[in-house]
Amino acid sequence: MIINIRKWPELIVSYSVMTFTVLVSIFPILWILLSSFKSNKEILNDPFSLPKKIDFQAYMDVFTQYNFLGYFMNSMFIAIASTLIALFIYTMAGYIFGKFNFRGKSFLFILCTITLLIPGYARAQPIFTIIMNLDLYDTKTALILVYASFGMALALFILRLSFIAIPKDLDESALIDGAGFWRIFWNVNMPLAKSGISTAGILMFLNNWNEYFYALILTTSEKNRTLPVALEFFNEAFSYNYTRMFAALMMVILPGIVIYVLVQEQVQQSVASSGVKG
Amino acid sequence: MKIKWLNVWIAAFLAPTVLVLALFYIVPIGTVLVTGFMEWDGLRAPEFNGLNNYIHLITYDNTFFIALRNILLWSLMAATLHVGFGTLVAFVLYKKHIGWRFVRGVFMVPMVISAAAWAIIYKLFFNDEIGILNHMIRSIGFSDFHVNWFFDSPASFFAITLTWLFYAVYVTLIVYNDLMAIPKEVHEAALLDGASEWGMIRHINLPLVKKAIGTGIILSVTARIAGFEEVALTSRGGPGNDTYNITLMLYDGIVNYNYGYANAAATIMILLGILVLLLINRVFKMNESTY
Repeated sequence: MIINIRKWPELIVSYSVMTFTVLVSIFPILWILLSSFKSNKEILNDPFSLPKKIDFQAYMDVFTQYNFLGYFMNSMFIAIASTLIALFIYTMAGYIFGKFNFRGKSFLFILCTITLLIPGYARAQPIFTIIMNLDLYDTKTALILVYASFGMALALFILRLSFIAIPKDLDESALIDGAGFWRIFWNVNMPLAKSGISTAGILMFLNNWNEYFYALILTTSEKNRTLPVALEFFNEAFSYNYTRMFAALMMVILPGIVIYVLVQEQVQQSVASSGVKG
Repeated sequence: MKIKWLNVWIAAFLAPTVLVLALFYIVPIGTVLVTGFMEWDGLRAPEFNGLNNYIHLITYDNTFFIALRNILLWSLMAATLHVGFGTLVAFVLYKKHIGWRFVRGVFMVPMVISAAAWAIIYKLFFNDEIGILNHMIRSIGFSDFHVNWFFDSPASFFAITLTWLFYAVYVTLIVYNDLMAIPKEVHEAALLDGASEWGMIRHINLPLVKKAIGTGIILSVTARIAGFEEVALTSRGGPGNDTYNITLMLYDGIVNYNYGYANAAATIMILLGILVLLLINRVFKMNESTY
């Protein structure tokens, strides 16, 4: 391949930017990963060296001594439950917004999606009080409810568009075949809106899995603690055992990375098209 | 299907969403706006106290002005450097040099990690004893370099800035999406007219992705107004009140049962958000169509 000499400056700039981007994105994580296999002494004296051996002792310690599994299960349960509830109710609403007309439709839709522009934490105190009044303070149910509410604007945005894209002829022929409202929704439209539903689901799951602020103010006991909140307690508990600190960090961030790697294209596409941070 | 039944179905399908909208959005936002003018500790009934919360917020000490200054500076950096970097990466990826997919994939990773974990990663990264940053600086010749990044002034402000400054992948993705949407004919016509590479970027691509850049600015500035983890888990607003922000004021108000005060802070957050939206809409003419 002959490379035009005038292309050189552009190539140099491009690859510098690309290298820098990769470095700032994974260097900190790589450093955490390598350090999680080193001894305290190596971490303090020799931060650039590679670990002498790969052993998972620190990971085992975090897992067995600090109820990591408990927090992990809490996070998983809360994130999955809230995402499923959210998907179910917003899919129904998205279906109506996408396929039916009624008075006040566009007003309601705008009202639902404009909430995206209110900073999420600004509603913290009233939500705290509502959860108190429902007698749900320090329960998993509280977080499930609150997280399910977060995805509203984003999910409706994505889902309405997926239902609009499904031809109306399908509904009409199903209607002629004698299918009722629910069957047309569940058996005809839902399967065709699959990709929109999974996109919304993935984005909501990642948000719920990573949420910190509301988990911090709405729960207090260990049995309802999620991973992002537990991390701060790890930080204090391991303040002089760095190896474990690094191992715990890796264990907290790994599930998110794994999920992302599995559905990379979809996450990127949806962020791009919705213009909203995942 | 009879029309009457259809309306029942429509209402039933919308009901849960309307309930969520009312309970978690309309009621809370209304509460925030109203109780910002009230004395409320969560036990006794709220009582109107006029502008007292706002006056307290502003005059109690100079915390509010520090928070406002921080948010202003961070927002400016987000709108320029942060969005600028994200846009630059988008333009580079658009060239599709070998490895561009990998770069795009990796750039997303910090975004799928919880912000809490990312803040703690940076706290360790900048730690004077074990952090690799200071070790690197010491190893290239500044052997006496010791800065406690999150605990020294003014280092703390910049350390917090670095936790988000380069992580602009969502700007990159939105801008990239708009770049891909530019019709091929536009570029072909420009080439026929003898446009240079640089001229093409400046006079065609940049103006055509203007709205994406505007959206990126709105998103990133709103994120700075509502920033929490990167401060709460690193410097906790310190040293002194150096890195304080409005979300921390809000948080302090809630945990100290000073709800009126918390909601006055929340109202200011909402107003700042709307202000940014209107401003960017105007500057970037977001409502006009691109083509």
